[in-house]
Amino acid sequence: MLELHNLSKTWQGRALLRDVNLHVARGETVAILGPSGSGKSTLLKMVAGLESLDAGRVCFDGQDITALAPERRHFALMFQDFALFPHLDVQDNVAFGLVEQGLRKAEARVQACAMLERFGLHALAHARVMRLSGGEQQRVALARALITEPRVLLLDEPFSALDAALRLQLRDEFRQRIADVGMATLLVTHDEAEARAMAARGYAVEQGGLRLLW
Amino acid sequence: MKLRASWALAAVPLAFLLVLMVAPALRLAVEGGQLPWSTPWQDAYLRWRIEWSLAQALVTCVGTLLLGVPVAWVLARFEFAGRSWVLHALMLPFVVPNLVAAMGVLALLGPQGVVQALGGAALDSGPWLLLYGNLFFNLCLVVRACTEAFGQVSASRIAAARTLGATPWRVFWRVEWPAVAPWLLSAMCLVFLYCASGFGLALVLGGQDYATVEVEIYTLVAHELELAQAAALALWMLGLTAGLALGYTALARGLAAPQRSDGVPRRRPQGAMQWAAVAAALWVLALVCAAPLVAIVAKALQAGAAAWGVLWEAGTLRALWNSLRFTLLAVGLATLLGLAHALAARRSTLLRALVFLPLVLSPVAVAFGLLLLYPQWTASLALLVGAYALLAYPFVAQSLAAGLDAMPRHLGQVARSLGASPWRVFWRVTLPLLRPALRRGMAFAAATAVGEFAVTLFLSRPEWATLTTRVYEYLGRPGETNRDAALVLACLLMALALLAFAVIESAKDSNPHA
Repeated sequence: MLELHNLSKTWQGRALLRDVNLHVARGETVAILGPSGSGKSTLLKMVAGLESLDAGRVCFDGQDITALAPERRHFALMFQDFALFPHLDVQDNVAFGLVEQGLRKAEARVQACAMLERFGLHALAHARVMRLSGGEQQRVALARALITEPRVLLLDEPFSALDAALRLQLRDEFRQRIADVGMATLLVTHDEAEARAMAARGYAVEQGGLRLLW
Repeated sequence: MKLRASWALAAVPLAFLLVLMVAPALRLAVEGGQLPWSTPWQDAYLRWRIEWSLAQALVTCVGTLLLGVPVAWVLARFEFAGRSWVLHALMLPFVVPNLVAAMGVLALLGPQGVVQALGGAALDSGPWLLLYGNLFFNLCLVVRACTEAFGQVSASRIAAARTLGATPWRVFWRVEWPAVAPWLLSAMCLVFLYCASGFGLALVLGGQDYATVEVEIYTLVAHELELAQAAALALWMLGLTAGLALGYTALARGLAAPQRSDGVPRRRPQGAMQWAAVAAALWVLALVCAAPLVAIVAKALQAGAAAWGVLWEAGTLRALWNSLRFTLLAVGLATLLGLAHALAARRSTLLRALVFLPLVLSPVAVAFGLLLLYPQWTASLALLVGAYALLAYPFVAQSLAAGLDAMPRHLGQVARSLGASPWRVFWRVTLPLLRPALRRGMAFAAATAVGEFAVTLFLSRPEWATLTTRVYEYLGRPGETNRDAALVLACLLMALALLAFAVIESAKDSNPHA
């Protein structure tokens, strides 16, 4: 279980987040809603270990991981711009995390191919990522995030760069795939309909704290 | 990267700048301090040198402004066959060594030059050769900066002005010009700096009467051993260039705006007037920027076989070897320094500003300061390569800084979350993506090093002659055969510059962000 205890963050003299407490169980998806600049993306980066905390603790399964480097947390993060590596093809993008876990490149590629097959992207294994459509890029980004079987999936506005029809289609696909893997998922979005469709619980960031919406 | 880590990384280039730039400048101050600060202004001869240095820089600024703005406007607003080729070619003067440019101007306008052969008059005295040489180097800089600036002008603002009753001419002055002016001012700063602190062109084209302060400093040190007087002059020029460099840095910082998405679409010229404008712009570029280079090749091809035999002389082969090995060593060092500086400067505007300093300081002042501060190391390879690297590494740092700016920050964060340590992120994500920028920066650094002249004259041993010093050596000897040999060697230097140019342009084409 992912646990956030009294997380606080000040940015440019302003209290961005104050005493944020949150629990996300395995297999559960929790959504954080809020307008731009409310601190929801910062919260996600704090959980990932990419942003320092002014106060508070991040724990996983009871273990304090606040001081743990991002690469050792075994969480996966997805951004709205997908953040695919433009110098690698689709297969190597998906294999990236496996190589970092110490797998040989050849073996990582085999696993990446299998993953791409499950996502229906096998034909694009050797394509340059910048040539893919928005939906394809999104799927590749999810495949890359899930292949390492992360303990927590962190989604930062994952659908906001897509058009409305594709957003609906991918939302259902994502929900299904995340449910299949059964990890704790934290979703940050400004779209309440999307949040309600994806998450069992939803919170709004208000004046630096979290208010339960559903 | 945390701020503390940035400064730790910056320690290497900063220490380098301290040892090879700041300390020599202070040593110059001590040497020059032996004389009253106003000495150069009290001596009519030295005062003329300073006044002329500033005047020729000012005249060049006015010339590039008058020619460059209309040419840039045409390139920014009209689409025509060969336009992108012209934009690529504008980069060429940036990699051409000073001495090659000087040879080109002489081959075109000097005695027995192309113009004289076509029935025109030769110019062998007066300030015109130097001013033309300055235009050759700087017109492209102004045209490039202004073309980019015109590309940033908002189409919707122009449309709004037109609907509010402004004619195209009024739109230019009330909408386009205010948007372009800051870019132009920053380009003018650079033009003034380059001209005021230029050495190679002034040495060859200025003659006795129109030599600039930089040439005078070299003469005082190398021929008259008037070190205190030379230092006083160098200090004045250092103060002036440093002041302007600070102004340029402040201006440049405000110009780092993102590309506008609603730029004015280019259109095909319509009607005789618009086609005439395109033709005129291309003529200006051909006459000012291309003609000297074409003239060198033409004159070298006219030279006899004896002149081309210079390529196989032992002295030339040694000079080529020296040029290549000094360049290789300098580019290696410049790459390490530039990489450290660019990575460190990601979060520090101060560090980012510091990288401009070696670019705008006069190479003569730098070399003279080094000579004074480290007399025991003069003619040592380490100092020579260090000085080359000092002049070359800002190109690497600037190119990499631009590459880092263009790189989405999320890539590194995602790589970290996928299990990559900071070092692995650098190795697997940052460095591969920076490769085109690195190649581009290294090519600029190589072009700078291969064409380096002033530092070599001050710090080199006779057996370390490079291609540039060999061109100068032949140019100083009387007779047509020696002039032809200098032309052939200038062709060789130009070929090396073109090689760097090709690498720069291919790096642009392989940008993964494109």
